[in-house]
Amino acid sequence: MGIIDKKVSLRNRGKLLLGVYEDEDQLMTAAKKLAGHGIPVLDVYTPYPIHGLDRIIGVKRTNLTVIAFLCGLTGFSLATLMIWYMNVHDWPMIVGNKPLVFATSWIPVMFESTVLCTAFGMAFFFFWRNRLAHGIQPELLDDRQTDDRMIVVVEAEHANADEVMSIYRSTGAVETRERVGGVQTTIK
Amino acid sequence: MNHDSIIRQPLVVGGKTPTDVTADITRPILNKPTTAWRVGFVISFIFLLLLVWTIGYTVWTGIGVWNINKSVMWGWDITNFVFWVGIGHAGTLISAILLLFRQKWRMSINRSAEAMTIFAVMCAAIFPVFHMGRVWVGYWALPLPNSFGSLWANFQSPLLWDVFAISTYFSVSLLFWYLGLIPDIATIRDKTKTKLSRFWYRFFSMGWTGSTRTWARYEVVSLILAGLSTPLVLSVHTIVSTDFATSLVPGWHTTIFPPYFVAGAIFSGFGMVLTLLIVVRKVMNYENYITIGHLEAMAKVVMLTGTMVGMAYITEFFVAWYSGVEYEQYAFANRMSGPYWWAYWSMMFCNLVSPQVFWFRWARTTPWFIFMISIVVNVGMWFERFVIIVTSLHRDYLPSSWVMYTASWTEIGIFLGTFGLFFTCFFLFSKYLPVINMSELKTILKNRE
Repeated sequence: MGIIDKKVSLRNRGKLLLGVYEDEDQLMTAAKKLAGHGIPVLDVYTPYPIHGLDRIIGVKRTNLTVIAFLCGLTGFSLATLMIWYMNVHDWPMIVGNKPLVFATSWIPVMFESTVLCTAFGMAFFFFWRNRLAHGIQPELLDDRQTDDRMIVVVEAEHANADEVMSIYRSTGAVETRERVGGVQTTIK
Repeated sequence: MNHDSIIRQPLVVGGKTPTDVTADITRPILNKPTTAWRVGFVISFIFLLLLVWTIGYTVWTGIGVWNINKSVMWGWDITNFVFWVGIGHAGTLISAILLLFRQKWRMSINRSAEAMTIFAVMCAAIFPVFHMGRVWVGYWALPLPNSFGSLWANFQSPLLWDVFAISTYFSVSLLFWYLGLIPDIATIRDKTKTKLSRFWYRFFSMGWTGSTRTWARYEVVSLILAGLSTPLVLSVHTIVSTDFATSLVPGWHTTIFPPYFVAGAIFSGFGMVLTLLIVVRKVMNYENYITIGHLEAMAKVVMLTGTMVGMAYITEFFVAWYSGVEYEQYAFANRMSGPYWWAYWSMMFCNLVSPQVFWFRWARTTPWFIFMISIVVNVGMWFERFVIIVTSLHRDYLPSSWVMYTASWTEIGIFLGTFGLFFTCFFLFSKYLPVINMSELKTILKNRE
């Protein structure tokens, strides 16, 4: 499995069927209806997170929590190794007759290093998985998808176009469109 | 006095839709700066120049231009360091701890509070760095072999813990802030007209499209970051407090310091958030987003933490008396009635007495009054650090070494200059980035509670 989620990109896709919504409740109804008809939804673009939508369109639970734990473990181990190497192995320093190995005074640095590595490691994998990087051209379907519009995307090859369009219309889509090779046309 | 309770006040008033939110929040970014902004920015920038000048003078001439001496070696400098670090804490508290507690009122204020955290930590870092004197060898504070021989940094020292704590705190806060900004930067990218700003917003938006797949993971990352930031923020001020508490100086050698410093940090941070947001909501017309309800909630936090801090002052006093240690007893008696009595009583008045007005509903819901109290809180918390540092150091075990300490104009200039740095950053932030988290706020418009 590659790290990047292939489904976050719209490149090299065939015909796409788009339903544009302006109300999150209507959007949820549409997503549930599509799922009920067994139509796979490629993605839904929304200006803000809509809770529960990811499960309806079949997004799996992320493994980022595991990655976060592994990054934290790495940070913890690195800090322990660093302190041990510097203050015990390479140049033992006894300060105030405190114990040399695993003194409680090691804890703050171990903790900070754990937090630092977890945060940055997890963020790095998050960006990678979602194909987010500085300078990347956004693949926008509508100028307002980051403002007030929500767009449901279904790949035409996995569904019956008429059925999808009728679901879009019956659930209150303000617009229905087709996108072929990067060009969008409004379907009445 | 009767107050009719309703189920819950809406967090955003004025019947706003997502379209309105985008329009209102991006307005200052898409339009030319107002006269008020320009004037404020220029004043801040002048103070920033004062910082550059006074720090340049310190580095060029030497640390002797400060009035710190053999006894009071941590004068205004470390007072200001702890003052600024403390202010930073409210940002993380609002964005992380309130996120874990699912307190939705944080959504209108977390962005600016986090920005405040970052700018305050920047201001704070200046003080210990330049206190080193020979700042060009400041990298010796890092875990490197000293002067590149074999002696390494000492991991038993709280001062080294501070290096790790402050740098981790700064970088993780910056990451948390930036992660929260990405969807909003994308919104501005899709609204802005000029070529240059389109380029920069596109660059920093990282190709964000608002995909549900990304949102699902984004929320998990935010939650974990909040979970990490919560112990982090508590650890940072705990470690700052151990700079004092692990020493044998009477007045510093107390185990109450970690919780007392953390409560004080939240108290001062909320004071500063209130100072900033009461101005922001007025000047930028955000009264519908930062409502009286928000101010009231913050005023309650100020009252609670102020009382906790006051409790700590009194506990400290009691323990000093109860310990039977002559030096501890003297240190505290000297605080209260010695030559720095005015600092001690200012601290007591500002931090313990003044927030008690928030028991009254009128006081909690009147913006100009909250603003006044927030300034008093800021002043009080500066005095707290001054009292801890200067009154403990100026009279030590050896009466022949007793001295008085007053700041030199350079020390005062650096302190005023950090306000210049802070407000310059804040003005730039309010012009180029959304002051309120739009994408989060849009989730609560329907007010389903």
